[in-house]
Amino acid sequence: MIQLTNVSKIYPNGARALVDITINIGKGEFVFLVGPSGAGKSTLIRLLYREEAPTRGQVVINNKNLVRLKDREVPYHRRNIGVIFQDFKLLPNKTVLENVAFALEVIGVSRREVQRRSREATEMVGLAEKEKSFSHQLSGGEQQRVCVARAIVNNPALLIADEPTGNLDHDTAWGIMDLLKSINKLGTTVIMATHAREIVNKMQKRVIAIESGRMVRDEEKGVYGNYA
Amino acid sequence: MLNTLRYILRETFNSVKRNPWLSMASILTVMVSLVILGFSTFFLINASNLAKTFESELEIAVFLQKNMTVQQIKDLQAKIEQLPGVASVLFISQDQALVEISQILGGDQSNIIADLGGTNPLPDKFTVKVIEAQDVPNVAGQLALPGVNKVRYGQEFIEQLLKFTEWLRWVGIVVIIAFAVASIVLISINIKMNVFSRRREIQIMKLVGASNSFIRWPFFTEGMILGLIGGGLAAIIVGFAYQWLVLYIQATVAFLPVVHNNLIFWQVITGLFLSGMAIGAIGSAISLRKFLQV
Repeated sequence: MIQLTNVSKIYPNGARALVDITINIGKGEFVFLVGPSGAGKSTLIRLLYREEAPTRGQVVINNKNLVRLKDREVPYHRRNIGVIFQDFKLLPNKTVLENVAFALEVIGVSRREVQRRSREATEMVGLAEKEKSFSHQLSGGEQQRVCVARAIVNNPALLIADEPTGNLDHDTAWGIMDLLKSINKLGTTVIMATHAREIVNKMQKRVIAIESGRMVRDEEKGVYGNYA
Repeated sequence: MLNTLRYILRETFNSVKRNPWLSMASILTVMVSLVILGFSTFFLINASNLAKTFESELEIAVFLQKNMTVQQIKDLQAKIEQLPGVASVLFISQDQALVEISQILGGDQSNIIADLGGTNPLPDKFTVKVIEAQDVPNVAGQLALPGVNKVRYGQEFIEQLLKFTEWLRWVGIVVIIAFAVASIVLISINIKMNVFSRRREIQIMKLVGASNSFIRWPFFTEGMILGLIGGGLAAIIVGFAYQWLVLYIQATVAFLPVVHNNLIFWQVITGLFLSGMAIGAIGSAISLRKFLQV
């Protein structure tokens, strides 16, 4: 489903964020992306939803080569990808339900469909009772769950999570992980960048480690490693 | 499609609500520039109408030498009538001319002759009318025939009038362009500030897969609506002011010809309205060109 071939990313200031990375990820996999801060995890993730283009190499998702993607095709590519952000990226002037619905509204889904599907997603993350709350009235974990609901409301084939448990306490973090696990069971590919050693070690999933922009490890049922 | 339309209208309305002062400033600038445009247009329409009216009343006065016989005068008249471009030739003898003058001056004919020293100083003349006003100088040039003393027509006046309206047209164009640029700049600042205050929202929209046009449309319609309101206000102001002015002029200086033509009136008013929309659209298009490269 995802093929990165000899991908390098060098920023205009000369920083080498990624060096010659080759990764294959199949449909329905659950992959952890680990490594010290600044190793290039976020850059890798940004390549997947085409916020950045690689300097060299190919990025192919669902048989679409993102390097050759035209600017006006980018939005359509993103509609197949749900992204969970560490800083949530919720709109403060919208309610929980409206935030979730937003992802459907912007792609022109009919009003009834928007209502039905955003309710479904909100229920799935367990926030049905708070659907009318604004994000500042929610705890960190609840905000992260809104973000998850927004990422999955589209039924994306690929779910990308950039440190989704970074700001959360132990129990809440596991709540999010349970959500991701169940979404993964429904067939969605999940890629998660994380610093959460305990989670990675317990989940027993594929682990890809990046250090200074290079891939140093790729193991099935891997462990976190020696990073801070 | 309908969903998108509803969304666009809601966003447009919200955005105006969020920046009421800037929106107001944009509307007012568009309004002021279009009010000026409207008045200049009506002024120019009237000035050229005035020039045309004067032109159509133009006649060439051909003063004859003294002591010509009746036959010589008749021959001369026949010659002039045959010149190309001449519409009519009217002979006015010196006696008739005196009657005309005394009518204008309102005195007694014999008194005037007495005042002038007992003789009538006025020459015989032809009043020549031409078919086309612009032929006047041309025809006048051909009238230097034997027996003709002087040829006179309102040349200077017409030339001055035309020069003045020409000058006015240029001043008007410069002022209008300046104001149009100002309104475009203000509208684009308005849009830019809106975009800036909503950059987070726009970023999220892009990340969840909104197309550029979907993000762009609300701003575009906002610009158009601000421009349209400005244009509408200008149309109302200019429309009422001009109607009032026409009535006022007709009541006070009745001889001044005023253009009071419904078709032209509505053309100008509609033009103002549409220009407002165009200014708004251009302003937002300018500010939207670059910012969407997220």
